[in-house]
Amino acid sequence: MRGRREETWAALAFLAPNFLGFVVFTAGPVLFSLAVSFTNWNLQRTIPFQWVRLGNFADLLHDPNFWLYLVNTGYLMLGIPLSIAGSLFLAILLSQRLRGIVAYRTLFYLPTFTSGVAIMILWKALYNPEFGPINAALGWLADTLRVAITAPTWLLSTHNLLGLDVEQVRLTASQWGVGARDALIIMGIWIGIGGSNMLLYLAGISNIPTELVEAAQLDGAGNWSIFRHVTWPQLAPTTFFIVVMSFIGGLQGGFEQARVMTMGGPAGTTTTLAYYIYTKAFEEFQIGYASALSWILFSVIFVVTLINWRVGHRELSY
Amino acid sequence: MLRAFFAGTFLVLLLLSAVAWRLQPRADMAGKTPLVWVSDDNPTRREQIALFNRLHPDLALRLDPGNTGMEKVIVQSLAGVGPDLFDCYDAYQLAAYVRSGVAWDITDRLQEMGIAVEREVWPFLLPIIVKDGRTYGFPTNAAVNAIWFHKDLFDRAGVPYPRGPWTWQQFLQTAKRLTVRDQRGRVRQFGLLADWWNWPQFVIQWGGSVYSPDGTRCTLDSPQAIAGVQFLHDLIYKYRVMPSPVEEAAMATAGGWGSGTITFFAGKKGAMALGARWWLCNMRSYQGLRMGVVECPHGPVRVFRGYGRATLINRNSPRREQALEFLKYEASREYNDLVNHQADALAPVIRYCQGPTYLHDPEFPREDYNAQWREVMDYGQPEQISPFVNGQAASRILNKQLDLIKNDAKPVPAALRDATRQVNEEIARTLERDPALRARYRALTGRERP
Amino acid sequence: MKRGGFAAWWFRRGRFAASYAVLTVLAVTTLIPFLWMVLASFKPLAEVEALNPLPSAWHPENYLRVFQQIPFARYYFNSLFIAAWVTALQCLTSAMAAYAFARLRWRFRDHVFRLYLATLMIPGVVTMIPNYTLMVKLHLLDSYLGLIVPAAFSAFGTFLLRQFMLTIPPSLDEAAAMDGATPWQIFWDVIMPLSRAGLVTLAIFTFLGNYGSFFWPLVLIKSEHLRTLPIGMLYFDTIYGRQTNLIMAASVMNIIPLVILFVVAQKFIVRGIQLGAVKG
Repeated sequence: MRGRREETWAALAFLAPNFLGFVVFTAGPVLFSLAVSFTNWNLQRTIPFQWVRLGNFADLLHDPNFWLYLVNTGYLMLGIPLSIAGSLFLAILLSQRLRGIVAYRTLFYLPTFTSGVAIMILWKALYNPEFGPINAALGWLADTLRVAITAPTWLLSTHNLLGLDVEQVRLTASQWGVGARDALIIMGIWIGIGGSNMLLYLAGISNIPTELVEAAQLDGAGNWSIFRHVTWPQLAPTTFFIVVMSFIGGLQGGFEQARVMTMGGPAGTTTTLAYYIYTKAFEEFQIGYASALSWILFSVIFVVTLINWRVGHRELSY
Repeated sequence: MLRAFFAGTFLVLLLLSAVAWRLQPRADMAGKTPLVWVSDDNPTRREQIALFNRLHPDLALRLDPGNTGMEKVIVQSLAGVGPDLFDCYDAYQLAAYVRSGVAWDITDRLQEMGIAVEREVWPFLLPIIVKDGRTYGFPTNAAVNAIWFHKDLFDRAGVPYPRGPWTWQQFLQTAKRLTVRDQRGRVRQFGLLADWWNWPQFVIQWGGSVYSPDGTRCTLDSPQAIAGVQFLHDLIYKYRVMPSPVEEAAMATAGGWGSGTITFFAGKKGAMALGARWWLCNMRSYQGLRMGVVECPHGPVRVFRGYGRATLINRNSPRREQALEFLKYEASREYNDLVNHQADALAPVIRYCQGPTYLHDPEFPREDYNAQWREVMDYGQPEQISPFVNGQAASRILNKQLDLIKNDAKPVPAALRDATRQVNEEIARTLERDPALRARYRALTGRERP
Repeated sequence: MKRGGFAAWWFRRGRFAASYAVLTVLAVTTLIPFLWMVLASFKPLAEVEALNPLPSAWHPENYLRVFQQIPFARYYFNSLFIAAWVTALQCLTSAMAAYAFARLRWRFRDHVFRLYLATLMIPGVVTMIPNYTLMVKLHLLDSYLGLIVPAAFSAFGTFLLRQFMLTIPPSLDEAAAMDGATPWQIFWDVIMPLSRAGLVTLAIFTFLGNYGSFFWPLVLIKSEHLRTLPIGMLYFDTIYGRQTNLIMAASVMNIIPLVILFVVAQKFIVRGIQLGAVKG
């Protein structure tokens, strides 16, 4: 029989490489990042190092850019409910026993799977206001319908569907329209609608006990009734998981789109918190301030996840 | 079985690593030492680099335009992957490079090479390369702005060509006659086009200054500074000879010209423009332009702003001795003649800007104004900075207020007073955090904050 | 109990037809950007902006021109090389750690595992900044090592493989132990073969994640010869952006390995996601 001692040594040996990496590249950095956020370190030795304690956090709260970019992050998350609903819809369609379902499922998953810089560059070309096919198609539509539509300038426009102003956090009619942020939302929906969420819903739907559905049909329930009283409640845990994950992803997202497609513009309207942290940390090298920002982001994610959990559990317990 | 699979995989990966190692660009290409110069991707650089490589067959200099930016250069240099040579644009950047330990002190080396920097280059370039008496680089070019004008537009208006020196009041008469309006009262041709970042020139021409001489306070709220900036503002909104931002935007969309003062001027949206000799790099490609140059009008004080760029050497570069050859090249006749010929502003070394080859370049016979460019250089004043404040933070504050002035969104005195107050607050904040600076400040003023 | 009769049959047919119609419309919408990309990659530049989707003549040499304009082959090699290293290292180290958590008994086991779990919630930005400063201090900026080593350790991989290993009946271990096998042998001969599904899933997702990794190479790499595909694509678009046909050709080449991987390994991928294999 193997002794406890032996197992501990074996465990150490097995764990060592991974644990070492964990400490050096994950756990250690987390603590280091927290510590650095209380300093004014800028990595360049051009200003004297100082423990500014809560100075960074105070600056942060007074930084108008911070609030603007927080709002941008929130705005870009407005597409999430649409995306989730779309995934659910697709999953319901695909869960019928139709022929060729696997082909459709593969196709719908393709945007998510291939998503990355190449796809974003593709969409950047699609959205080109003068040369892109989207505006070309809109123009053709306008001509055929003999309607005058001014094609939106998409990624070059600061307009948005809420009318958010550019330099202050407020709504103004002059900024109402379709602009860069909306373009990113549309692209996000195209990428995500047939993605992991759809697959999760498919699994969830296939796990619904058929007796429940048949019982409802026996009672003469129509499709919508079945959905409302059987499908949706049964999928609640899946929906909950998806919502939480989407929130977490959305709060820390927007970086790649901003860096590849708009460089955070126009006029900072597509800058999310993640992109702001990037510019502060890796272009200005304000390591202390950027670390403080990243911890604020973490806190926001934490709080939002907690709220989701509370709300979710209330919904789930029935 | 799986063990074998993993072992095999790692073996293959190690092999590939060896391949990757061999495929790396060789450090010593055909016996030449490679040098990397971080600078912007201006087309004139290519010829300047090609000439250097021809003169030094044992060196292979190349441009890296992808890693520009002061912070990036510093951090990469500290990480051991920095360039050998990099450009510096103002005294604030020089201070940062020196403080971070990235700039190489070449005072003694230049002396050994017989290059007396203080005497040879334009005086207003010195703050970009000299700090606290030590030299860290050599300038690449120099510029002082003057007035470009279209001879044919003057002919058309029946106005004689302007001749300097002249005051802004005299200028106004000419500018008004050259501002042409259409039937609806909208301006089709402006008397003057100018970039707003020329505002410090107006401050110094009225006898004001951005900072006090010792750099301890911002002095933009002085009556002279206010008067200077007020005049610039009035050029747009009172005398209406210069376009407002809205009119500039309208010029950009109508007529298909791109935005930018140079493009507007080349497109004859303005009869005169406050610009520099390096505009020629762009304007030489336009056909049929007949231009003249006259010195910029002056206020109560006849001074103009001088600026330029310099190349510094990375102190931690293993090839810094070879990099020194490039700085020597920048002091040489070949390079200076090339810069003058390319019209990349003017050459940094004074004596190369006065020979017949400079005054009348055989390849550009219609450019008969090189003498004027040479004359205004003597009146160039370097940009004022304060060692007690972060240059970027100060710029941000100043630019914000100046932007409000430019858009007529705030009266000049109020904006400048706010700017001064905010910059002084920034100085106070900087002093709070830096005991060494605080000591210097106390030595100069006897106080610890402005 | 189904509703009987012809009406019911027709209703079902109609519903199926409607479903097919909707699915087809959505499928086409999903496909159109891809189609446009592929078609544009074969067009001469002037036609890219034209309304006609099909090129007048096919120009496959666009693909060759991509390789001539930028060191695309080098970018490809770098991406695949680095992703391969990261995947191999992650699979091995995560498996070993997962074994320590799933099978071996030692004092702080559950505490340390909870520590691993806790870090899963932390956004990447928090750790990226200190990791970068570490690379600066170690002079590992702009190097293969800097790209590979930090990415080779994953708490998530450990978590995933531990879940897989927990489903293996411990009786197999015990049988081997009674035959005198050491933990090392049990690990390789019993546990690993039975965790193959988990390993493949982890390998696929790690490779996928690293192939498309953008942030870390972006901040770490400055030399052209070390660029990975995403960074190379970014620079290509920045400098040659107006040559849309070439950009699209490069994008197609970028995506092809992913499409192939997906078609081949679909079952693993789908199952992996449904088992929670994807973070967020």
